[in-house]
Amino acid sequence: MATTLLERELKRGSTEVLILALLDERQRHGYEISQLIEERSNGTITFHTASLYPTLYRLEDKGLIDGRWIERAGQRRRRYYRLTRAGRKALATQRSTWDTFFLALDRVAGIRHA
Amino acid sequence: MPDWKPRLQRVFDANGHACDPVELDVLEELSTHAAAEYDALRARGSDAGEAERRVDDLVDMWVRDAAALRRRPKRALAIPPPSAGGVPFAGLMQDLRYGVRLLRRQPGFAAVAILTMALGIGATTMLFSVAYGVLLKPLPWPDADRLVRVTETRQGRTGRVPGTVSNGAFLAWRDHASTIEDVGGWLTQTATLQALPGAGDPVRVSIIPTTPGLFPILKARPLVGRLFRDGEGARGQPSLVILSYGLWQERFGGRPEIVGHLVQIDDKPYTIVGVMPREFAFPDRETRAWTAWSVSPVKAENGAQVGVIFRAIARLRAGATPAQAAAEATSRARSGPDMALVARALFGAAGPIDISAVPELQAMTADIRPAILVLLAAVGLLLVTATANVASLQLARATTRRREMAVRAAIGAGQPRIVRQLLIENAIVGLCGGAAGLALAAGLQRLLPSLLPAGFPRLDGVAIDMRVLSFALAVSVVASVACGLLPAWHTRRVNLVETLSEDGVAPIGGAMRSPMARTRGLIMAGQVAIACVLLVGAALLTRSFVSLIRADRGYDPVNVLTARLPLPPGYPAERRNQLLDTLVERLRAVSGVTHAAYSTSVPFTPGGVFVAFTMRSPRNPEVAVDVQATQRLVSPDYFAAMRLRLVAGRTLTDADTTTTTPAIVVNRTFARQYLGDRPVGVRIPQHGPRAGGLTLADGHADWEVVGVVDDMRQDSVEAALQPEIFASLKQIDPSRARNFDPVLVVRTAADPTAYVSTLRSLVHDQAPALALDSVMTMEDRVMTSLAKPRLYAVVLAWFGVFALLIAGVGLFGVLSFSVAQRTREIGVRSALGAQARDIVALVLGQALWIVGVGVALGLAAALAGVRLLSAFLYGISPHDGLTFAAVPIVIAAVAAVACLVPARRAAKVDPLTALRTG
Repeated sequence: MATTLLERELKRGSTEVLILALLDERQRHGYEISQLIEERSNGTITFHTASLYPTLYRLEDKGLIDGRWIERAGQRRRRYYRLTRAGRKALATQRSTWDTFFLALDRVAGIRHA
Repeated sequence: MPDWKPRLQRVFDANGHACDPVELDVLEELSTHAAAEYDALRARGSDAGEAERRVDDLVDMWVRDAAALRRRPKRALAIPPPSAGGVPFAGLMQDLRYGVRLLRRQPGFAAVAILTMALGIGATTMLFSVAYGVLLKPLPWPDADRLVRVTETRQGRTGRVPGTVSNGAFLAWRDHASTIEDVGGWLTQTATLQALPGAGDPVRVSIIPTTPGLFPILKARPLVGRLFRDGEGARGQPSLVILSYGLWQERFGGRPEIVGHLVQIDDKPYTIVGVMPREFAFPDRETRAWTAWSVSPVKAENGAQVGVIFRAIARLRAGATPAQAAAEATSRARSGPDMALVARALFGAAGPIDISAVPELQAMTADIRPAILVLLAAVGLLLVTATANVASLQLARATTRRREMAVRAAIGAGQPRIVRQLLIENAIVGLCGGAAGLALAAGLQRLLPSLLPAGFPRLDGVAIDMRVLSFALAVSVVASVACGLLPAWHTRRVNLVETLSEDGVAPIGGAMRSPMARTRGLIMAGQVAIACVLLVGAALLTRSFVSLIRADRGYDPVNVLTARLPLPPGYPAERRNQLLDTLVERLRAVSGVTHAAYSTSVPFTPGGVFVAFTMRSPRNPEVAVDVQATQRLVSPDYFAAMRLRLVAGRTLTDADTTTTTPAIVVNRTFARQYLGDRPVGVRIPQHGPRAGGLTLADGHADWEVVGVVDDMRQDSVEAALQPEIFASLKQIDPSRARNFDPVLVVRTAADPTAYVSTLRSLVHDQAPALALDSVMTMEDRVMTSLAKPRLYAVVLAWFGVFALLIAGVGLFGVLSFSVAQRTREIGVRSALGAQARDIVALVLGQALWIVGVGVALGLAAALAGVRLLSAFLYGISPHDGLTFAAVPIVIAAVAAVACLVPARRAAKVDPLTALRTG
C-alpha cells in the first residue's frame, strides 16, 4: 500500500513536470500532449490518458498553464495550452528538485535517471 | 465518422453529471480528443467498429473519474476594473470629475493656484499679443517686406527731426535709382480743416503732405476717386487732397459724389480727388487726409538754397537688398548738389552723406523693440515663478496625499493612471487659470491705448486673435504639465506598505531630508531669485525715472500753463503781434497769474527755426566760424515765465524794440561754442547766407548778445545740448518774419489747470475765429515725454511686486507646511528641553536657507542681466549699489513676515499634545 501511494505521488508529480516540460517548447493541445508523453517515455512511465485532463485542469487552476480555444484553417477547433510565467518558474523549481532527488537516489541506491 | 460530443454528453448525463456551461467546455475538449483518437486508430488500420470500441473504453475511463474532470470557474472580480484596456480615454471623465471635486473641496488651494496661473498667463498673453502685433505681424501692405525706410545722416548726425532725409539726397537718388522701384516722401503736420466754407466748426487734424509716388509704393488703391498723379503737388499745380475713410464718413457723410468738391485746409481751397479704404492708415491711424506735395529742388528759382527734411520710404526691386539700396542712395546723394550751409542747419554738420535703408517694420518699431523684449523676458520670469508656485503647492498636496495614492495603487491603479490623475488635476488648474488669464489679457488690452504712451507704433495691430488664443492655450497646457510633473515624479515610488502604515508626519529632522521637501525648498529659492531679479530691474528703472523727473532741465516746469494758438496761413503779422500783446497784457491782469509770455515754441513742441551762418570768431577775428543754432522768438517775459537762469548780462525787456539795437540772448552752449569767455556785448552780423534766418527791422544793424541763460532742455534730458538764440518778436520786422503758431506761456501762483477756462475765454474774446490747441501744463508735457520710461518702470515694478508676493505666499506655505509636518519633532525637541526661541530658530533657519540661496542666485542673475537694461537707465549705474543692497533687504522683510505665523505656531507646539496625537 505504501508503495502504491509513493508510486501514485511520483506519477502524479512526474505527470505535472512532463506536461510543463512539453509546454515549455510550445503550446500544444491535449491529444498532442498525450501522444508525446507516450512517445517520449517509451512506455517506461505508465501514463493513462484518463489522468491527462484532470492534471491539465489542475495546472490551469494553479495558474501554471493557460488554455485557450484556437481554430486553425482546415482543422477542428482545439484547446491549446501554453506555459504561464508562473508555470515557467514552477518548471525550473521542479527540474532542480528532481535533479536533487535523482542525485540523492544515485548516491544512496545507485539509481540513475536517463 | 461518429459525432462524439452528443455521445459523451449522453454518457455523462446517464452517470448523473448534469453539464453546466463550464463542463460543456470540458465535454467539447474531450470530444475533440476522442475524435483525434478515432482518426488515429483508423489510420493505423483498425476498422470502424474496432476504433469506436477503443474510443468508448476511453470515454468510460473519463466518466469513471468525472469528478476530476472539472475546470474551476474563473473567480469574478469583486470590483470590475475600469475598462481602461480597450478605450484609451475611458475613465478620463471620471478623473476629471474627481479632479473638480477635489478642487472644490479645497477652495483655498484652488483659488490661490488658479489666481497665480491667471496672473502669469494673463500678463504673458498680454505681452505676447503686444510683441506679436507690434514687432512680428506683417505690415498691411502687399509685399511689405520690400518696403524700406530711408534715413540720412551726416558724419553720424541725424537731421533735426530724426529719421528724415533732405531734399538734395532724395532727389539725387529718386531720379537715378536702380535698386528700388520708387521712393516717396511725406511731411508730418497738423492743419485746420473746414469741410465747407462757413459750414461746421474748423477742426485741427493731422494732414500729411505726400509725394504722389507714395501710394503706389504702398500698393494702395483708393476706395473712391483716384490717387495723385505724377507731377501733382508741384508749385503752380492745383491743391489736391485725398480723404481718409474716417474723415469722409464723419465730415462728408460717406457720399461718393464728394470727389471734385472743395475743402478748406488752413484757409486754402483743396480739391478732393479720392477717398482711401477704411483699413488704409499711413503713417498712422491719426492721419485724416493726404495732400499732394512735391519735394523742392535744392536751388530755388531765385537762386537761394532750399533745405527740407522729411520722411521717406522706398520699395525695393525684387531681389535687391536694403544694403544695396543704401549703398546706391549714398553714392547718388554724395554726387548730388552740395547743400553746405543748409545741411549744417538741418544736420548740424555738412560732412559726407550716409543713407541707410531699414525694413519698414524694423524702422517703425526700433524705439520700442528693446523695451518689449526686456518686458517679455520679465513676464517670462513672472510666468515661471507663478508656475513654480503652483507646482510647489501641488507638491505639498502630494505629500499629504501619499496615503490616497497608496490606496489607489493598492486597489489596482497603475502608475500611469496615478500620473494621469495628477496631470488632469493640474490641467484643470492650468486651463481655469488660462481662461482667467485670457480674460485679464483682454481686459488689459482694452486699457492699452490709455496705458501706452502716445505715438506707440502699430497699436491697432494688437488683438486677441487666433494666434494669441493658441499661445494662451499652449502656455496653459505647458504650465500645467510642468506643475504636475514634479508631484507625479515624486509619487512614482510610493511604497505601499510603508506609506499606509506610517502615521502621516515627517520623520524627525525632516525639514529638508525628504526629497519632496528638498524639491520644494529649491523651487522656493528659485522663486526668491526671480523676485530678486525683477525687483532689481524695477528699482533701477524707477530710480532712473525719478532721476528723469528731477533732472535739471534749465527751466521750472511747475505751475506753468502752455497752449498753442494755431494761426491760419496768411494771418497778418501785425494783427498777430497785436493779438499776442493784448492776450499777454490781459493774462497778467488775472489774479494768480505771475507771468504771461509767448514764444515760437516751448520745450517738447516744434517751432524753433534752424539757422546757420558764418561769423568772425570773437577770440580770433581772422577766423571765420560756421555757426548753427536754433532760434526762438519770445516775448521779454518768457525768461521769467519759464524761470530760465541768467548766467551773464541781462534778459530781453520791453525796452528792446525796433528802434533800439537788436538784442539777443544766447544759451550757455552757444556762448561756449562760438563766443568765448566774454559773450556779452559780442556783435553778430545779421547779413550773410542764412537758412531760414530772420531779418531785423534795420537790415544793416548787427545783433548784440546782451545776455547768456543756462541751457534749456528742449526735449529729452538725454539729447545733446544745442546752441540756441532767443530774440524778441518786437524787434523783428513784422512783414518779413516767417509764419508761426505762437505758444502762450502762463506762470501761476497755484495750480495752473484752474486757469485753462480763463485762457480759452480770453482768446475767444479777442479772436473768436481762433481756437487754442495743445493746452497743457508744462509738467504734463514733461511727464508725457517720460511716458515710455514711466510705463517700463511701472510694468516692471508690478511684475516685481507680483513675483515678491508670490514668493512671500510660497514661503509662508512651505514653512507652515513644514511646521505642521514636524509637529512631533518639535514636540520631542521641546520635551528634551528646547526653548521657544530654539524652535523659532529652527523655522527661521529653514527660511534663511531658502531666502539666502534665492537672493544669492537672484543677485548674481541680476548682475549678469542688468546690461540689458543699461540702455533704459538715466542718471544711475546699472550696478547701482543702493539698489543691489535694498532689494535683499526688501526680500528679507517680506520673508520675515512670511515666517512670522509659522514660527509662532511652531513655538506654541505643546510637547504633550504633539507626542500624544503624533
